[in-house]
Amino acid sequence: MPRPNLYYEERTPSPLERVWLEFNRNPLARAALYIIIFILILCIFGPWLTPYGPNEQILDAISLPPAWSDDGNIRFLLGTDELGRDMVTRIIYGARYTFGYPFLVVLASAAIGISLGAIAAMTVGVKSSTLKHLLDVLMSIPSLLLALIIIAITGPGLSNALLAIGLVLIPQFLHVTRNAIHDERQKPYVTASRLNGVSDMYLLSMVFFPNIVKVLVIQLTIGLSIAILDIAALGFLRLGAQSPTPEWGSMLAQSLEVAYITPWVMALPGIALFLTLVSVNLVGETLRIAIQKQLER
Amino acid sequence: MRIYVLRQLVLLIITLFLLTIFAFCLSYWFPGDPVTNSSGIFSDDTMRYADAASSRGFDGNILVQYWHYLAHLFRGDWGISLLDSDPVFEQLQLRFGATLEIAVLAMLIALVPGVALGVLSALNFRKPIDHTILSMSLSGYSIPVFWFAQIAILLVAVRWGMLPIAGQINPLFNIEAVTGSILLDIFINQPENMGLAFRSAIRHITLPVLVLSVMPMMLLIRLTRSSMLDVLDKNYITSAYAKGLSTRRVISSHAIPNAMQNVIRELGSLLSLLITNTMIIEVIFSWPGIGSWLIRSIYERDYPVIQGGLLLIAALILCVHVALNLIHAWRYPQVRKDLHATS
Repeated sequence: MPRPNLYYEERTPSPLERVWLEFNRNPLARAALYIIIFILILCIFGPWLTPYGPNEQILDAISLPPAWSDDGNIRFLLGTDELGRDMVTRIIYGARYTFGYPFLVVLASAAIGISLGAIAAMTVGVKSSTLKHLLDVLMSIPSLLLALIIIAITGPGLSNALLAIGLVLIPQFLHVTRNAIHDERQKPYVTASRLNGVSDMYLLSMVFFPNIVKVLVIQLTIGLSIAILDIAALGFLRLGAQSPTPEWGSMLAQSLEVAYITPWVMALPGIALFLTLVSVNLVGETLRIAIQKQLER
Repeated sequence: MRIYVLRQLVLLIITLFLLTIFAFCLSYWFPGDPVTNSSGIFSDDTMRYADAASSRGFDGNILVQYWHYLAHLFRGDWGISLLDSDPVFEQLQLRFGATLEIAVLAMLIALVPGVALGVLSALNFRKPIDHTILSMSLSGYSIPVFWFAQIAILLVAVRWGMLPIAGQINPLFNIEAVTGSILLDIFINQPENMGLAFRSAIRHITLPVLVLSVMPMMLLIRLTRSSMLDVLDKNYITSAYAKGLSTRRVISSHAIPNAMQNVIRELGSLLSLLITNTMIIEVIFSWPGIGSWLIRSIYERDYPVIQGGLLLIAALILCVHVALNLIHAWRYPQVRKDLHATS
């Protein structure tokens, strides 16, 4: 039995609750969130879920179409490629390379970039306009081009590609953190804590950080989307993950030769990549809307 | 305004200078011999190697070397390719035209529908049209361009056999490359059957340009929409309505010009995305542009080409950025004031 509400109390939901409400309001956004959680689970538990190894060749099943077509075999739900490797297995393993590693790389470069940005913002007087101009220039050069420069020096390979993407993302986090702290600097609540005589460390961690964490979360999703796309693009250009690795981008590159005979070998990694990117972008977008609404209240 | 232009130009010159220092350092960071990396001449070609080393000042200290590097840069002597001994500078000039051709065409194609759909969806805020356009643009810019290009090739070119998929023009036409941009080259060369040549070139260029234009179009929709929404909330829009102007007048002469301000400011980041996508598209469609050459040279480890290509693309992006900033400040004086106040 529902209780009548006796008091006219206005309960403001907490910031996290409000984000959840925003996700609840939009079914597509919730679906995107579930897809990301699903991919994360695949990244972690993938090897236990798959019946075959990622590079295991089943020689009596070469270039089988997906199971629902007439020539398909239920043993291979999404068919096999031209070397007789199971597509489901390869795509599940690929989630690690295309989503898992970029995710870790983004976290690492966020940690470095945010702390550097905080230091840059807290040290007033040091030629901060020089830093700003330099960062502006660095930000104007596209991330893939910067990654290409780094790979040109270190040579192609998955670990070099990951390193390159990580290095490229650090200035972006630095820039965002620095700007966010600069915007908050002049606000009365910061002045109040300054007058209280708190230390810089306290100011940073207890005063600034809770107020800029929203901006950082949004930047995190943007960075993740950039990292996934760039890793896949590098894989596709054969500069990232190399041939037998089941990374989605390099799977697409390998499928070029057979795309006309067995189109599913090309379509499936692409669909996986597309779904991942749409979900990351949609979750980022919803977070942005939710935070904007909170600011407007 | 004059001060602003000067500031921007000085900034551009300083960054270009830093860029040349960076490119100069690259020949040391690359594995192998710096002389070979910067000139493209192997050390077993003893005579020319000694020549290159002395003309690039490798007997002097690092400053002398940098000075000689700059001199070579301005003379247009960017070394030769390690693979096929083509002079890098001449090749880059030709390929630059080809790259610019598809990038500019794609941008132009993206501009009109992008802005129009953005305005349309802002005017129908939170109505079905808005939701349709928004989800279309969200999925449109999430499609990885290399996959999209492959699907386009598979459907349009292979299944339906409508368009060719590789190169600039049917090789039977003997068009001498002058600018690198195929449409201009046909015009300059004036071959006998110009109509046919143009038809072939346009058929070759259609698919890459269309695939390339999707991403900027989708981003433009989002940019235009959000800046239109901002503008439509402003008081001057209400007052324009209160004056009794028709909706059409308000939108076309009050809302859109002001909404474009934000769009122009964001155009720079859009263009740098466009350049990276151009590089990928060039590889897929075997378009003889800078991007495909640069990427090939990275896995062939052709260092002079990498150095030159990176320098050119980065310089292009920086120049475009400064140009956009100047246009922005010239068109919208209030921005200029802001910049003066904060600086």
